[in-house]
Amino acid sequence: MNSYLLQQGRSKELELFPHIIEFGSKKIQTIQFNSFPVEKTAWLRAYYVLDGRYDWIIDGMSRILYPGDLALILPEQSFGGARELLDIGAFFWIALDMNRSYLSTLESRSIQKILLLNDSPVIAGFKEGGHILQLIGRELSGQEIGFQTRINHLTDTLLILIARQLTKQNNSQRDFPRTFMKLEQELRDNLSHQWTVEEMAALVGLGTTAFTEKVKSFTGFSPISYLINIRISEAIKLLKRTDINLTDVALDTGFYSSQHFSTTFKKLTGYTPSQFRKNNTDNL
Amino acid sequence: MNQQHSDCILTIDMGTGAVRIFAFDLNGAVIGSMKGSYPTFHREPDYSEQDPEQVFITVLYVLKNLLNERIHPGGHKVIAICFSGAMHSVLPVDKKGIPLGNAITWSDNRGKREAQALKGTASGKAIYDATGTPIHPMSPLIKISWMKHHDKERFDHTARFLSLKSYIIQQLTGEHIIDYSLASATGLFNIHTFTWEQAALDHAGIGAGKLPDLVPVFYSKPRLRREYQTSLGLAPDTKIIAGASDGALATLGAGVWGEGKATITIEQSGAVRVVGNKVLKDQQQRFFNYVLTENYYVSGGPTNNGGVIFEWFAKEFGAFRKAFDLDDSMDQLILEASRIPAGSDGMLFLPYLLGERAPIWNANARGVYFGLNMQHSRQHFIRATIEGILYEIYSIGKTLEEHRAIHTLSINGSFTAYPFWAQMISDIFDKPVQVKDNSDSIGLGAFLLTATEMGIYKSLEEAARVVDIPTMYRPDKNDHEVYMRYYKVFERLSSKLLEDFEEIAGLQG
Repeated sequence: MNSYLLQQGRSKELELFPHIIEFGSKKIQTIQFNSFPVEKTAWLRAYYVLDGRYDWIIDGMSRILYPGDLALILPEQSFGGARELLDIGAFFWIALDMNRSYLSTLESRSIQKILLLNDSPVIAGFKEGGHILQLIGRELSGQEIGFQTRINHLTDTLLILIARQLTKQNNSQRDFPRTFMKLEQELRDNLSHQWTVEEMAALVGLGTTAFTEKVKSFTGFSPISYLINIRISEAIKLLKRTDINLTDVALDTGFYSSQHFSTTFKKLTGYTPSQFRKNNTDNL
Repeated sequence: MNQQHSDCILTIDMGTGAVRIFAFDLNGAVIGSMKGSYPTFHREPDYSEQDPEQVFITVLYVLKNLLNERIHPGGHKVIAICFSGAMHSVLPVDKKGIPLGNAITWSDNRGKREAQALKGTASGKAIYDATGTPIHPMSPLIKISWMKHHDKERFDHTARFLSLKSYIIQQLTGEHIIDYSLASATGLFNIHTFTWEQAALDHAGIGAGKLPDLVPVFYSKPRLRREYQTSLGLAPDTKIIAGASDGALATLGAGVWGEGKATITIEQSGAVRVVGNKVLKDQQQRFFNYVLTENYYVSGGPTNNGGVIFEWFAKEFGAFRKAFDLDDSMDQLILEASRIPAGSDGMLFLPYLLGERAPIWNANARGVYFGLNMQHSRQHFIRATIEGILYEIYSIGKTLEEHRAIHTLSINGSFTAYPFWAQMISDIFDKPVQVKDNSDSIGLGAFLLTATEMGIYKSLEEAARVVDIPTMYRPDKNDHEVYMRYYKVFERLSSKLLEDFEEIAGLQG
């Protein structure tokens, strides 16, 4: 395997693939000092180690990588070698513009969310990912019939596999309560977002059917009912504590209109939001 | 169907992690039940909090679903609603009744320094004797006194320190009340005079006006707010009964009443309890004495290290299958444990991973596997772990027996539902064991309380007698003797390691 580097705008191999910013392969036979400074990246980068042991600084933290490991660097994160050097070994990498994938909007949004929530940038023993990178390299150099479609598929597949692996790694199926707690926090942090069951399930790494069943048996509610619970609870706090108008309360807590908010609120509590606010600020 | 048959009683239990609502007919048969859970937040290591609005909405949601799906379509008329709640929660509210942040729940440990400082003192002893609640961070007395020192702004803004249950009742009815039973777990209530204890109030730095109004467990004056009558479809005259704490009601619902009986509950944590008309006086302050009614005390000791320890073991060391399921894993582990003889061939386990309450009351105690030799296998660890959890329960029972004779045990909670655990409890205690589901016991206890208030039973004692649970497990004498030989070592180790527990807990930071 030889070292090479393809770059968008410079290498004609990438002309057909605007979403691939960089693709490279490196084999290092003597330690290269000052060749790998820590720098901020603008793209999503994935490095797969084939050989050697690397001490890299990712987003300010030192991470050790062994053959079979994949390092994931998100846009705006810093990345480089500890002591700015590259040890003996070999690795592949790709830099992607995530906004130009061929995934559906919903899936792409879920995947980006999973990547952003991830706090351990090393996927250990990720042979599948390495294999895909290898195939992408081969297709780029071979340019056989169908390579354009194939490469687009492969880059999407890589993103999907990474997202799936991260949810597995970050959400212990052994401890659903803990996983559910993390989801609860995420829902509360982004309550105004129009969550779908698919998105919630994707975050914890389950299919929608299994997810719905687990949530139902753990909480007694369907995922959407549980979400409505949180929305109403937060709305109650806003109604009691502040004088922001009802439309803003509705939108802040994820209802798509004040009408929708009012109907749901009244159905559950028996009060309209404005009656409720009046009751809790006047008397007592 | 005649009118009498369609009357029903609802019991609402706001437990440590979920609300469970049961509907009973007037004979005590369950018409339907539903549950909904709410999370506990830990924003700092020692903090355990719940969102009062989320608890309220969950209660309302489950109540509404049960009414609309089972009660109204079945032609039942709700004539009374009785409340039960988890002990030790504190929810500060402002003068409008609006919560100032989250409720602090039973397992919150932020006041451990305050508790330690009070515990050894003469005034600590006097407060324990008066209130029946051990001086411990779980106690609202300690939580409020922590707030006074470390969260002054919230403390100063607080018009009342409610319990979560008080808050829910207030939302539904407008009344700020706490029943004697729940109050008796606050560390602020005098269990002999049934008033707030002045010395405890002084220690917490509050007046009685900062607490909810005290009412008997049978108190039935509150009525639902009109809006909830309409939205829930309940009659204006629906009786609302204050009810009691979950622990007291579980004991009543398990039929444990009077001499000779004790109840053991094993959920995540656990407890051994007895009921009597006298307070248990223990020089070493090892027991709680909570009130059920004016004449009855539920006394006993709690453990931190119940089923949660076995779940920890299953998560860390359980069989790893593709689709991991904790319950499957625990079933599998128990099957493996049953292949090892009683006593685990000499492997002992001290289960104090979470520090321990009764009977050693040492927050710095830690777990120990002891006596390992080359013959021990993975299976021995499984069995020793379960035996260790139950030796700890036994040590509470044994201390209780210094004060009360116990002839039979009524056990409940999700972990006692495993026949292997139930038999082991029977063998270790050398007593016959009856098994009852815990959430059922709390609901049934609340039903019996309500039915007594309505005159269906003459007294709680008579009500408790209708709880009929067949004896299901009888002790094996040989196994009992084996367990007792190892228990001696267990007990000795627990006290011998005192210094080392302190040191290792210090090193763990």
